[in-house]
Amino acid sequence: MKTEKIYSAGIDIGTSTTKMVVSSFLLKNVAGVTHVPRIEIIEKTVLHQSPIIKTPFINKDIIDMKKIEEFIFQQYQLAQMAPTDISTGAIIITGESATKENAREVVHTIADGAGHFLVATAGPDLEGIIAAKGAGTLQQSKNSSKVIANIDVGGGTANIAVMQFGEVIGTCTLHVGGRLIEFKNGRIQSISPPLMQLMEKWSNPLSVGDAAEDVRVTQCIEEMVGTLALILLGQCTDEQHPLVLGHLPNWHKPVDAIVFSGGVASCIYENECTQRQYDDIGERLAKMLVQHEQLQAFLWLQPKETARATVTGAGTQTTDISGATIQVDADVLPLKNVPVFNCYIDATTIDYNHMVKTAVERADDLFSIQDNRSPFALYFSELPYLSFQDVHVLCEAILQHLATRCSKDIPIIIVIQSDYAKIIGQTIQAINPTVPIICIDQIKVETGDYIDIGEILPSGVVPVVVKTLAFHSK
Amino acid sequence: MNDQLVSMITQLVMEKMEKNTEGQAPEVDTTPTEQSTEPLIKFYDANANESTEIVESRTTSLEPLIKLYQHGAPQQAHIAPATFEQPLNVAVPIKPFQFEADTLTESVQAAKKHTPARIGVGRAGTRPKTKTWLKFRLDHAAAVDAVYGEVSEDLLQKLDVFQVTSKVTDKEEYITRPDLGRRLSDESKTLIQQKCKQQPKVQIILSNGLSASAIEENVQDVYLALQQSLSNLNIEIGTTFYIDKGRVALMDEIGELLQAEVIVYLIGERPGLVSAESMSAYLCYKPRIGTVEAERMVISNIHKGGIPPLEAGAYLGTVVQKILHYQASGVELVAKEG
Repeated sequence: MKTEKIYSAGIDIGTSTTKMVVSSFLLKNVAGVTHVPRIEIIEKTVLHQSPIIKTPFINKDIIDMKKIEEFIFQQYQLAQMAPTDISTGAIIITGESATKENAREVVHTIADGAGHFLVATAGPDLEGIIAAKGAGTLQQSKNSSKVIANIDVGGGTANIAVMQFGEVIGTCTLHVGGRLIEFKNGRIQSISPPLMQLMEKWSNPLSVGDAAEDVRVTQCIEEMVGTLALILLGQCTDEQHPLVLGHLPNWHKPVDAIVFSGGVASCIYENECTQRQYDDIGERLAKMLVQHEQLQAFLWLQPKETARATVTGAGTQTTDISGATIQVDADVLPLKNVPVFNCYIDATTIDYNHMVKTAVERADDLFSIQDNRSPFALYFSELPYLSFQDVHVLCEAILQHLATRCSKDIPIIIVIQSDYAKIIGQTIQAINPTVPIICIDQIKVETGDYIDIGEILPSGVVPVVVKTLAFHSK
Repeated sequence: MNDQLVSMITQLVMEKMEKNTEGQAPEVDTTPTEQSTEPLIKFYDANANESTEIVESRTTSLEPLIKLYQHGAPQQAHIAPATFEQPLNVAVPIKPFQFEADTLTESVQAAKKHTPARIGVGRAGTRPKTKTWLKFRLDHAAAVDAVYGEVSEDLLQKLDVFQVTSKVTDKEEYITRPDLGRRLSDESKTLIQQKCKQQPKVQIILSNGLSASAIEENVQDVYLALQQSLSNLNIEIGTTFYIDKGRVALMDEIGELLQAEVIVYLIGERPGLVSAESMSAYLCYKPRIGTVEAERMVISNIHKGGIPPLEAGAYLGTVVQKILHYQASGVELVAKEG
């Protein structure tokens, strides 16, 4: 059987380190000869792993984009690839780097310049999920019924993703990381703002210039690890806790097992701390994690990747392949950074027109900047079983509310969870042959996600990256 | 077994059962017994149930498939004979029998999402549980019904297709003589030549084949979607008709008769226990008498729980386009595509 090869890149710009991977995917029709084709990625090979470099900064608040670009192009050369060969993949900005002034600019510029179709992503929840996938934890969770938490402890944040049966059931992010306190010549050089906030309650907080061996540093680390344990045990209810970034845990099952990934994890599992050239609390944090009594109560599992989990995830685990029976206008692809709105169709109602209308109105409220209507994808998550007539009614509703705003560059974008894209796209085309349309299926997204759709591949499918774009501020 | 013997045995059993109940329960008049007109086991109408069946097997609904009635009442009357005027058992309402709800572990539930097979059903000793067994019998019965069922006149009218027959005269012959199912009856040949457009680009034909319910359930959506798809692609269609009791290779004779370029043949598949309403679409470039099987291609498993009928119809249009482009189908198409 014929296979098809595409190349993917992953770039992770973290709080303290930046790294990159280049890999190749093998695509194949895995459906039987008597079936409608189903194209899947059957093999992923990492072709090149970059060294882990320190994330370059111009000053405290600005990332040195030029240096990062130089690094990326140098790695492409080493991998013997050109950016134009890259037809999918993601660049993610993580931890405290995502809070820098030019974070947004950096990811978007590099995404546009460093690959034919490279996707810009950011957001603590996504970070945790990508790390869990890169560390192999998601795969591991398919093999047992255990609820597994992957905790990616980097320089600035610890991103927790909890999963069971191969599905993510919750996320949470904490200000717990190796670089929250930095030393220089045995003295504290900097303390990150969340820690300062934490110490506000203390009678005698740490300050810059104190000795690295101060007991209060250990106290800080204890506090961090303690909070992590509370979160994992589901006992933290304080939304305003200074170490919690964003929302509290949103999973509803007790965690059975834990896996650590990220830079700090390499000190946990590999004992390679001597190689760490960073003068910060990373090693001590790792030691504390291993010794902590409450954490010891969990089952500890091994990750496949530690320091490179996020970048491996970004490079090999972010791309989805659409269903094979889809309707796409090849001229308007690729599409980048399209927000998604979920149009929920209730099985009991037949008033599709009203539902599409409300969905479009609400999406406009959500995504439009002033009167500038920006394009968005309408997502149908749970379509009931539709007959030919139902599809016609639905398509007429879609056209009525969306056709007017279409132009050559802005197509109607429809994403469907179940297998209906071909018939819906085709019906829209039958009613209105001129309107450009992108109608894809077998993709799972949620309101608030963004979607990037790559160019059509020879097998008739499109690569899709579902992502978030959340640049949290300090 | 001959019919006489069966009815004799049945009668014997019935007599014996009657004797038993008389001996055990003297107040037989006041309690509903096996003699009551209520059926002991309620089977749903097989046809009506089929559509809901598929859904149920996927969502593991808690609804019982079969209702049984509990007949424990007479025994209670023995325990409390105090008041003769008002026997206790009258007050006991007859409750529909409920199978105990499945207590499946999370892992079994997760596994069940990936297969329609009867997994995680438990067992009673070395045998399957009654519930599993009844469900199995029900599915088996649906399969038998599918083979012996007929496509309704209504549907054919709705689709605006006329009907012809193969050389087969009845279902038994259809099953035992596949060769006759591959030939048109003489009247049918004349009818087709009278009514159909000659030398069509695409000729669509429908047949119940081995499952009438497959056609009942799916053909409308597939046919309409296919029509729309071909019209979007500017491919003209001949005059569609329905063949009663046709076999796949019957398309050869029709291809010969009408000199069609491509034939799309929608036919009911041999029913199985997962679905009795699965339909196939066979396609062939210039089928003529003597066409070898390697030149035919098929999209199978078209039903609500398999390839969605609408999506299948829409996809078939692009397959037809490909066949016309390469002027080949089946193995030869794969070879030409490279």
